[in-house]
Amino acid sequence: MINRRNFLTTVALGTASAAVLAACGSPAPAQTGSAENPVTINYTWWGNDDRAERTRKAIALFESKNPDIKVNGNFTDFAGYWQKRATEAAGGGLPDVMQWDLSYLRDYGQRNQLLDLGTVKINTDAFDKSLLPSGQIRGKTYGIPTSTNAFAVYYDPAKLASLGIAEPDGTWTYKEYNAFLAEVGAKSNGALFGGTDYTGIWWMFNIWLRQNNIEAFTEDGKLGFAKDDLKKWWNQTAALRGTPAIVSEERVTQLAPKSPFGSNVSATESTWDNFMAAYLGDSGAKELKLVPVPSDDKDNLGLFLKPSMLMVASAKTKFKDAAARFIDFMVNDPEVGQIFKTSRGVPASKTQRDGTTFEGTDKLVVDYEKSIEKYLKDAPEPPIVGFGTLETSFKRISSDLNFGKLTVDGAADAWFKEAEDLIKQNA
Amino acid sequence: MTTMATPTKPATEAPAPVYNPKSESVGAKRIKSAIFHVVALALTGVVLYPALWMVASSFKPNSEIGGANTSLWSNNFSFDNFVTAMDGIGGVSTLQFFTNSLILAIGAVVGTILSASVSAYAFARIKFPGRSVFFGMMIATLLLPFHVVIIPQYIVFQQLGLVDTYIPLLIGKFLAADAFFVFLMVQFMRNLPAELDEAARIDGAGHVRIFTAIMLPLMKPALISTSIFSFIWSWNDFLGPLLYLNTPEKYPLPLALRLFVDQTQSSDYGAMIAMSVLALLPVLIFFLVFQRYIVEGVSTQGLKG
Repeated sequence: MINRRNFLTTVALGTASAAVLAACGSPAPAQTGSAENPVTINYTWWGNDDRAERTRKAIALFESKNPDIKVNGNFTDFAGYWQKRATEAAGGGLPDVMQWDLSYLRDYGQRNQLLDLGTVKINTDAFDKSLLPSGQIRGKTYGIPTSTNAFAVYYDPAKLASLGIAEPDGTWTYKEYNAFLAEVGAKSNGALFGGTDYTGIWWMFNIWLRQNNIEAFTEDGKLGFAKDDLKKWWNQTAALRGTPAIVSEERVTQLAPKSPFGSNVSATESTWDNFMAAYLGDSGAKELKLVPVPSDDKDNLGLFLKPSMLMVASAKTKFKDAAARFIDFMVNDPEVGQIFKTSRGVPASKTQRDGTTFEGTDKLVVDYEKSIEKYLKDAPEPPIVGFGTLETSFKRISSDLNFGKLTVDGAADAWFKEAEDLIKQNA
Repeated sequence: MTTMATPTKPATEAPAPVYNPKSESVGAKRIKSAIFHVVALALTGVVLYPALWMVASSFKPNSEIGGANTSLWSNNFSFDNFVTAMDGIGGVSTLQFFTNSLILAIGAVVGTILSASVSAYAFARIKFPGRSVFFGMMIATLLLPFHVVIIPQYIVFQQLGLVDTYIPLLIGKFLAADAFFVFLMVQFMRNLPAELDEAARIDGAGHVRIFTAIMLPLMKPALISTSIFSFIWSWNDFLGPLLYLNTPEKYPLPLALRLFVDQTQSSDYGAMIAMSVLALLPVLIFFLVFQRYIVEGVSTQGLKG
């Protein structure tokens, strides 16, 4: 048997040495730096090789303009990014400055993991006022949008021309849109589908609610619409399901991870306008075009600018000032706009947008966002905690609807039950 | 054994059917064997198809991978994906990712072999107080899901300032934290005859001598199985490096692979698949070299002493 006193001594010694080591590990660093003795802040982002190259360039530019700050840049893929952040947040080791996604803002903001950027100096004069609320929760600014996305309907003009179908002009009602989808399916004899079932896309539903002046979520984080609204929405395409107007769910599953539109299986797709480059790459199409989503109210398209990503800082950062200067630089500097073009989305700050020259694909996206300017309304507040789960179950239940496993009434019941349970859990 | 053929019989006439159990059974065996091989080949085809798909896709342009393209071979055969894959990501060369993966995998193998064999020797051959309690505790750690310890472990390493080094990923291997391998070796050692160490002890050998000169050479099959498993596990580990490494220059291959696919931007499936093919090569070579020992190691483990 191990002697109990010895055992306790060992444990005590071990704890003590761990404490000593911990003290050595994190000496209190200086708050501000100088050119001779710069402070180092950590910046992390998700993205591919292309974004890594561009971000490195932007960091180099920042360091040359701010010799008293060094930026240590790290990156991972999107899925791994959030696993890593969750662990770091639990361990108290979030990086100083982070690229952020809207769907995680409320979660981390409410748990006081993010710095209130209203307390530091970041210039937001050049931002569209309808955009800023999307980075704010209960009056505190947790995120500054770097860039924006808007919802759009994509189509491939070459495919429409080969079928002898006129290109849409972007002013259409849901009835006209449905007829258009049916026409593509009918004229191609099933070789080309009209599009994916747009009623399965959460944001299309959200936009439709806005067109009918209904908020998706109330201020206290509850559902702002009734079950009947959802039934009405899912009934919009009831007549099209199972016809060549809409890609069958089996086909969608076969094609994953690519989208039917990217695989040249459908003629249109409704999604955010930043998918342009991905669709061009996946489909190999020469040209793709964007038009606004359908609406039964010609003056209210329900459209808004969504921050494609935000810049946030850790609440525990020791270098608030340096972090703020870096964020300000990344969102406002025109040269940074020139480096990123539209790879982060269309630059949110006007100074950055005006300082950037857009060509080709970039220009298409920027022109689209300009063309819908007059329809834009205030961006919604950051989504409720657990929104990701709600969006996923919306997709899953509507795909069951497409498989014919559920009726519209059953689907609406199923989704409402899941949503109400989730909201109760997070309340 | 058959009736005599009459000379008037035309030569072309088939011989009268005679019961011949031997020749019939040879025919039946042939058919059976043919069926067996056809089925086995078909199953091999099914099992290997994903690998075949991967290799074939690595030579296709990005737009022809996945989605509506179901054919294996493309007319636009090219090595472009491999060129892109070897270019690296964000200024870090692919060779660097390979080196990092190798450092981690070899570190894991060396650490596990050293620590697990010594601990196993203690458990199997030395009678120390509380041996069965400690052995039980070690086995109990096998039941602890990795996800339960992620955050506490992270906090410890973060407080010690060891995040973004290889230490959190390797220290456990050098401290015999992989209970599975210790258990495997203990079981193996228990099957070795105790007379061997008794003889050595009579000749004056201590524990160190018995361990190095007698046990280690006899444990070769167990050591080889352990090396193979810990090499492959470390080579494929994603979560550990994801949590503990921050600098892209230190990333191993599984992290780098994910960087080619980005749902929020464009995904380069071609380069990712090409890199997967490259990442598979070391494991494949490792397997081919040690193939004989793997079979030996696994089959010996099944033997009762």
